[in-house]
Amino acid sequence: MSKDFKVKVNDTFNFEITNHELKKLDILRVSDSSYHILQDNKSFNVEIEDSNFNNKSYQIKVNGNVFQVSIFNELDTLINTMGFTVGTTKQIDFIKAPMPGLILEINVQAKQVVMENEPLLILEAMKMENVITSPREGVVKSITVNKGDAVEKNQLLIEFE
Amino acid sequence: MESKLNTLKDKLAQAHLGGGQQRIDKQHEKKKLTARERISYLLDEGSFEEIGVLVTHRTTDFGMQDQIYYGDGVVTGYGTIHDRLVYVYAQDFTVFGGALSETHAEKICKIMDMAVKVGAPIIGLNDSGGARIQEGVRSLGGYADIFYRNVQASGVIPQISAIMGPCAGGAVYSPAMTDFTIMVEHTSYMFVTGPNVVKTVTNEEVTSEELGGANTHASKSGVAHKTSANDVQCLEDIKLLLSYLPQNNTEKTKKIEVNLNDEVRDVLSNIVPENPNKPYDMHQVISGIIDTDSFYEIHKDYAESIIVGFARLGGRSIGIIANQPMSFAGVLGVKSSRKAARFTRFCDCFNIPLLVLVDVPGFLPGTDQEWNGIIVHGAKLLYALSEATVPRVTVITRKAYGGAYDVMNSKHIGADMNFAWPGAEIAVMGAKGASEIIFKREIANAEDPVKKLSEKEKEYADKFANPYEAAKRGFIDEVILPKDTRRKLIKAFAMLENKEVDRPKRKHGNIPL
Amino acid sequence: MKKILVANRGEIALRVMKTAQKMGIKTVAVFSEADRNSPHVKFADEAVCIGPAPSNESYLKGDKIIEVAKQLNADAIHPGYGFLSENASFAELCEEHHIIFIGPHSKTIKIMGSKLAAKEAVKAYDIPMVPGIDEAITNIDKAKSIAHDIGFPVLIKASAGGGGKGMRVVEQAADLESQMNRAISEATSAFGDGSVFIEKYVTSPRHIEIQIMADNHGNILHFFERECSIQRRHQKVVEEAPSCILSPELRTKMGEAAIKVAKSCDYLGAGTVEFLLDADHNFYFLEMNTRLQVEHPVTELISDVDLVALQIKVARGEALQLKQEDLKITGHALELRVYAEDPLNNFLPSVGHLNTYKIPKGHGIRVDNGFKVGMDIPIYYDPMLAKLITYGKTRSEAIQLMIKAIDSYHIEGVQTTLPFGKYVCEHEVFRSGNFDTHFVKNYYAPEILKEQASEEAKIAALVAVKQYLEDQKLLRLPS
Repeated sequence: MSKDFKVKVNDTFNFEITNHELKKLDILRVSDSSYHILQDNKSFNVEIEDSNFNNKSYQIKVNGNVFQVSIFNELDTLINTMGFTVGTTKQIDFIKAPMPGLILEINVQAKQVVMENEPLLILEAMKMENVITSPREGVVKSITVNKGDAVEKNQLLIEFE
Repeated sequence: MESKLNTLKDKLAQAHLGGGQQRIDKQHEKKKLTARERISYLLDEGSFEEIGVLVTHRTTDFGMQDQIYYGDGVVTGYGTIHDRLVYVYAQDFTVFGGALSETHAEKICKIMDMAVKVGAPIIGLNDSGGARIQEGVRSLGGYADIFYRNVQASGVIPQISAIMGPCAGGAVYSPAMTDFTIMVEHTSYMFVTGPNVVKTVTNEEVTSEELGGANTHASKSGVAHKTSANDVQCLEDIKLLLSYLPQNNTEKTKKIEVNLNDEVRDVLSNIVPENPNKPYDMHQVISGIIDTDSFYEIHKDYAESIIVGFARLGGRSIGIIANQPMSFAGVLGVKSSRKAARFTRFCDCFNIPLLVLVDVPGFLPGTDQEWNGIIVHGAKLLYALSEATVPRVTVITRKAYGGAYDVMNSKHIGADMNFAWPGAEIAVMGAKGASEIIFKREIANAEDPVKKLSEKEKEYADKFANPYEAAKRGFIDEVILPKDTRRKLIKAFAMLENKEVDRPKRKHGNIPL
Repeated sequence: MKKILVANRGEIALRVMKTAQKMGIKTVAVFSEADRNSPHVKFADEAVCIGPAPSNESYLKGDKIIEVAKQLNADAIHPGYGFLSENASFAELCEEHHIIFIGPHSKTIKIMGSKLAAKEAVKAYDIPMVPGIDEAITNIDKAKSIAHDIGFPVLIKASAGGGGKGMRVVEQAADLESQMNRAISEATSAFGDGSVFIEKYVTSPRHIEIQIMADNHGNILHFFERECSIQRRHQKVVEEAPSCILSPELRTKMGEAAIKVAKSCDYLGAGTVEFLLDADHNFYFLEMNTRLQVEHPVTELISDVDLVALQIKVARGEALQLKQEDLKITGHALELRVYAEDPLNNFLPSVGHLNTYKIPKGHGIRVDNGFKVGMDIPIYYDPMLAKLITYGKTRSEAIQLMIKAIDSYHIEGVQTTLPFGKYVCEHEVFRSGNFDTHFVKNYYAPEILKEQASEEAKIAALVAVKQYLEDQKLLRLPS
């Protein structure tokens, strides 16, 4: 088992964990699922809250903060580079609601050419008006919501051509 | 000793490389995973145990003695999927193009025999150029050894075939005899004779994809039960399919624990349109009845006037057969009868209860149908359902006309519980046709025949275009509100859980093939 | 006063009820359909559902609330903050129905609710003000010419506003029109009044406010200042009392100014006079908030009073027993508003379900909290979960305690401002006391928090892989 692992934490951080790093980790088992770690002289209290070996996903609490860890082996990486996806379709050309809220205003129309950062619509959530801007230059294909609609998180708002 | 250990290590390392890194890269270029990668993805992490990793072929002709690869082009063994034991073989295209040799076949037969003895599903991942020509008849013998075992295992353990590359000539008959064939789109094809031979014999110009690609077999021939977008999706589809199936014919699928509440589903109330000639999507009825998102459709693109597939109902695995009014009004034809008959028999083999949803105007008329033997194909469905001993429940959502009423799991052919929605019309035929026959003379003699016909039509409709005549007779056990359907079905299947039927001893019936 | 109806939700409703209960007064909660499961509903002696989730169909329905109060024989209504707390017509409606509105008179609210009227009222009292215009406008051309006169940067703010809504800083002329439109639209939807003020934007400002309390016997006290300069999107997140830059002389001066402001509008009850303090310690009157503030607990801790109790007492006509000279500052208090917001993603509201929710406990820690584990954060209201308040003998003690309290505040299911609060408390600039309202803009970037989290994430990754390798060794058999 001298392989390195690619690891994703909270969908935000990517690490490559080497065997060497694992070996020199100063880890002390405190109880069944909790550990104490000294890393660069800093102290970390760690607890394994949940583990799913088959999905290679673990929930680890470090100093009171919870992290979702997904481990990718070589095959996972290969599958990724081969572009195989399961069940999901690509979502690059879709603007989705970042949070639930109310469509207050729609600033664009279908077929309209928009520039990057141009306001597309205004979504009101928790009484704040959030301007949803265009992520790129392009043409609006369709708008799937109307002014005054209440939308769910991740609901499709605007489709690009 | 050290050197002996190293010898083993070297051999295993070599075996794991299959046909070598170059061929592995080529396989990847073709958007295909290797045999070992496929197995590793399919099975639970680290659960695979390989059997016969050091097997090599015994051929000495045509310089074959110099081309020896451990495993001989197929990886075989066992492991678990969601902690359930399965046997698996995966043909390794990087070794002789996955061509089947005598020893290659022996390896497959070995695990098939074990699977039957132990009573666990077998999964075959096919990716092979065909017979190993250098071996001649020995290779053909190998195929037949597999076919024979496919048949012996049929109805004893679930057999699933994935076509993840070429599968041509004799090779096609193994998947054909297994229970389910899943094909990967664009990278797989199946045919008895390839485009070149077709060209020579019939002068047809056709590509491999057109002749035997995934979509062809999924929509035209029905050879493929399902298609998957890529290798990984295909392996996921196998895992999901397996979750609906038991380990073998003596077991039942494990029930998933679900929390049940009142289970009334209001969405069911508004699916069937007021106008009997207006179509609706039976999928909506299905999803309204079953556990959320649990439908696994089989033969989705083939003979679409009937829907078949697995689902969970209150956590229990069931098979569903349903007429689809959206396609040809849900009529029974040659293909749809065969599709439903085969599915029925699978469910019956493996103790999976059947739910039949009926909205059928009859059999499809026409020379095409008659000349293609609608009589004998329709009979298959009638036979399969009549023969099935698993719990069988019927819900008539709208039309149940003529002979098709009998065929679609009627009380008379052994259904256990028959429900009908209040809008059901159970009759020999539609009101118009019936009045035309019954009141032929009366209508002809009337002053205004058109008016008379509509009068009589109404009279007939009032009398028969409802579920109550059938309920009076007990042909329908209960007329139920659509929204209560899920609730009623969960109770009915729970009640039928321990159903057992003894049949007179016979070798096997003679289904009209 | 035997029974109080609390026309609010969340932590403030609970906070008010707790004091009422201590004083032997019965409480009535009102709630929307989204809040049936809220703690304030369960805590009150009686509770009435007043409508669907959107606040304009429930918590803002003054007539409905009055109806409930009459039905249940409540003598008084405490409006909390937000919702109807600064709604003059609601106060008036209470007065008409002879229900005590725990707050100032409706006419006071009206005056202070309009920036223009407020400025007019305090004119006679020699209160310093920020350069700007005296009238609220909606006309963009006019805005342009005004901005030109006073010079950029300028601040646009809703005349009826508060809480950062309808407020925009414009750095250059090119942005004026679009920002003006946004401000007007926000103000219209939030307050039903789209008119805005334009004024000089004070650079390097600190937000200092004075808590005051007035009875109807002519006594007005001030309870010192609160420093609320740590803001994001013009909304306060971290507040403290006292401010570390006020000299006793300045404190007295500002306190007296605040009392004058209160006098100018015939004030009754608890109120807050907000000032901007510039780099040279000149202070300018901003506005008066005619309600109990979100951040009132820091004042309670350093001056050892229960402001809600005082509110109730003066509302029933009692005279304040305290004298200004009796009041003194003891210790230091710090408050962090725990919002369901993602500090890594521009403080966008983070909606979800509270899978874990454990609040810290201990000496010197106070949590004014409106949530419990298992609850959903409704999208209809302000996303504040709780206020975490710490109290110590010194400022640094309060800060240290805050860091410790944040570490033992466990929330899973939504992102919160807790990590941001910790960042602030650990930041040298904040600790030194030498900061202004641009703290977030100048010193905070999500990357910094990410960087910090990255260290822990790496540890999580290491442990996960280690565990995975252990798990691999385990012998597994088919079930």
